[in-house]
Amino acid sequence: MDNRNDTPIDDFEQHLRDQLAPRSAPAGFADRVMARAKVRVAPQPRPRPFFLLPLWSWTAVAALLVVAVFGGIEHDRRQRIEGERARAQVLLALRITGTTLHDVQQKISTEENTPAHSESTGFEKR
Amino acid sequence: MDASPDTFRAAIERHQARVYSIAFRILGDGGAAEEVAQDVFLELHRSLRRLESEEHLAAWLRRVACHRATDALRRRAVRADSVAEEYQDGMALRPAVREFIPLMNRVEQLLLTLPPAQRSVMLLRYQEDLEPEDIAIELGMPLATVRSHLQRALKLLREKAQRTLREYSRG
Repeated sequence: MDNRNDTPIDDFEQHLRDQLAPRSAPAGFADRVMARAKVRVAPQPRPRPFFLLPLWSWTAVAALLVVAVFGGIEHDRRQRIEGERARAQVLLALRITGTTLHDVQQKISTEENTPAHSESTGFEKR
Repeated sequence: MDASPDTFRAAIERHQARVYSIAFRILGDGGAAEEVAQDVFLELHRSLRRLESEEHLAAWLRRVACHRATDALRRRAVRADSVAEEYQDGMALRPAVREFIPLMNRVEQLLLTLPPAQRSVMLLRYQEDLEPEDIAIELGMPLATVRSHLQRALKLLREKAQRTLREYSRG
């Protein structure tokens, strides 16, 4: 580069220095950073280990367990009773049906045994 | 260094202009620059104990500000060339940048047209007045790369400035 170009470059660099002087940060910048830093430093509530839960939580857990266990047992008992009742009803129905069928069969056989041919002779009732 | 709230606040007040300016001139967006600058100081809050002197603190802030601002720029997926094209077109600038253009001086606007690495090097050279050797150490770059960035950036800026001046004098 010749001298003619050197001088403008120096001027230009000086101009860059002048124009690139630090700018002021926005108003309240330090306060905002301090506020964010405070939030970060503040101890976060750590989750307690499960065995350090308060007494009422354990009571609630125990009550839920009792309800679940006894609820389950009661449910089973009711289902068994329902099942037995249904079975008894089915047996009763079968028994009734059997008896009815028996009666009908007897009636049929009685009617079959009565001499139908006597009717054909026409002398029996006399 | 002592990490008490008073020391931390004093450090912010002493260096906020430097950190904010680096972020603003790399990003070209006041809101994003403040966010990055705040993050840099929060990172400082965690590292304050490890810093040994005021010079160490200033160097640390310059380095972290350059890196965080460049990272933010990358995250926005805005390549330097596209910003340059946007700027030269003067039409397709992102709203955030367009909003801040009137508040920027001419050199700051021209700086936005450089690739991010060149922007950082130019800022450390002309805003922070560091020698190329110090810039190389702070940015972890070979000295030759720093010199090459400086030369290229100066050449580009000079050409753009002359072009703008010619356009201006032509009316």
